[in-house]
Amino acid sequence: MENNKRIRRMFFVLSILIIVAVIIYFYARVIGKSLDSGLPLTADIAKKIASRSAMSILGMTVSAALIAVVSLAFQTITENRILTPSMIGFDSVFMATQSVLVFLASRWAVSKHLFSNPYLNFLITTGMMMVISMLMYRIILRKNKNNIVFLLLFGLILSGMIRSFTNYIEVLLNPQEFQQLKAVTSVTITNMNTGIILLAAPVMLVLVFLFMRKSREYDVMLLSESNAKSLGVPYTKRLNTNLILIALAMAITTALIGPLTFLGLLAVNIARELFRTYKHSVLFIGSILIAILFLVLGQGIVELLRYATPVTVLIDLVGGVYMICLILKENKL
Amino acid sequence: MLNFKGEQTMIEIKNISQAYGNTQVLREVNLIIKEKRITALIGANGAGKSTLLNVAANLLEPCAGTVLLDGKDIKEMKSQDIAKRIAILKQTQHLNMRISVRDLVSFGRYPHSQGRLKDEDEQKIRQAIEYMNLKEIENKFIDELSGGQRQRAYIAMILAQDTKYIFLDEPLNNLDIKYSVEMMTILRKLVKELSKTVIIVMHDINFAAAYADDIVAMKGGQIMKEGAAQDIIDQTVLTEVFDHEFCIANVYGKKVCVYFPPEDKSAKGDAINE
Repeated sequence: MENNKRIRRMFFVLSILIIVAVIIYFYARVIGKSLDSGLPLTADIAKKIASRSAMSILGMTVSAALIAVVSLAFQTITENRILTPSMIGFDSVFMATQSVLVFLASRWAVSKHLFSNPYLNFLITTGMMMVISMLMYRIILRKNKNNIVFLLLFGLILSGMIRSFTNYIEVLLNPQEFQQLKAVTSVTITNMNTGIILLAAPVMLVLVFLFMRKSREYDVMLLSESNAKSLGVPYTKRLNTNLILIALAMAITTALIGPLTFLGLLAVNIARELFRTYKHSVLFIGSILIAILFLVLGQGIVELLRYATPVTVLIDLVGGVYMICLILKENKL
Repeated sequence: MLNFKGEQTMIEIKNISQAYGNTQVLREVNLIIKEKRITALIGANGAGKSTLLNVAANLLEPCAGTVLLDGKDIKEMKSQDIAKRIAILKQTQHLNMRISVRDLVSFGRYPHSQGRLKDEDEQKIRQAIEYMNLKEIENKFIDELSGGQRQRAYIAMILAQDTKYIFLDEPLNNLDIKYSVEMMTILRKLVKELSKTVIIVMHDINFAAAYADDIVAMKGGQIMKEGAAQDIIDQTVLTEVFDHEFCIANVYGKKVCVYFPPEDKSAKGDAINE
């Protein structure tokens, strides 16, 4: 009971902090921009900047929520507390698929729409990510659940391999195709793919709901595969649905905001430290709030101080150090 | 075995075969598990005991054959329904979470409540905790407990699950002698007082001899011999099962296996008999 009160208070504090972060972000964008340029801030311009900032915040929220939820679910089904889908190279699959699609589109008339039609493109990319994540799980993850170092190494090699493959395809493209590709793959937090935000937001809500609905089942899965099965969790079935949902969510956030390697790791582990519970119903919400706070507050501060580097670089820096600490602690190398 | 409605109530293993890659682990195993008894699966390493247990509890899908649970094919049952009848506990694993004894035991109600605990569930949880003498430590975290206490907490979880069948995979591993004896005494109590059916994979044949009703001896993926414990604990049977010389002694009227070869070959093995 005492703990429940603490958790509720923590949710409250995090929400307040997020509101503060949003205010800072708006302030930095609207006031900061006009001070910078020395132009008078008319209501018209302010409105324009504000609506654009609101879109950015929505985009950050969607990505942060998806990454947080997916990372927690992934860590539970693979029985580890370090790896997240982005860390074993899920987003590099996105890049590779895009480059192949551009390449094909220019070679065969049939495949022209595969790249240019955003829906078709999204379907193919997500499908590709699903297939790869299934294969990866079947062949590697399942048998090496407790061998974090091996899995990290595997992820490093896989994403390196896929990246070189992407580079190779890029060399084959002509300059115009290359421009097309870069327009899709060079999205970052400051250069979001705003076209899909309104589509992604409701999908995010559905996905978060689907994950959270199974919170109690994830709790049971923490007990280990055999115990979960013994307690009647249809484990294999759940694994497959999970991998599909995870691939879908990863495809959305990568298309929206680009790769965010360490955000999930940070959000999920900080949520665990803060809430000191194993209950997924709490951890899901907690890590979503923390991920949103990180992105929005971080980006707000970065814009306020007029740094050229986006906050994702900082998150990766902090997240990388944190990951090394976690590995040293858990594996006692 | 038939219950009062005339339905079959038992576990029947039919022609089960299992292979990992090219290694055949189980070869057409047939077994009927008797109700309200402790059945011990014994055999050398790699004889297929754990695999058979996993297949019977639906943790592992066999390559061929069927498992009938109360007359129904286990493959056609919902996992949740199986979980209301069979509970299996594998060797204590490393837990990736910080959880109190009480919360762990509560997980046992998952097949019945799907995590939303009702009054009836709370009552079963309380009973299980009391039955396993965990009342004083119910708010402690699992990682603070000794090996024996931890094992008892897991058994309490299985009791809360309230299944007729309890499968245990080497529950005595990592337990010292005192806790091992305590564990087996508890299992005997479960059979006697709560009418549970316990199937247990064991390494120590002396524990099997002392506490099991029936013993199933396995070798090379097949059942070599099955029967009442007193009949299986026999020099010729065990020598064949384990490929090792045995000497059966009688201590306090119980059969005890001595498996150390005598240093002096001429010494008679039965010298310590009574």
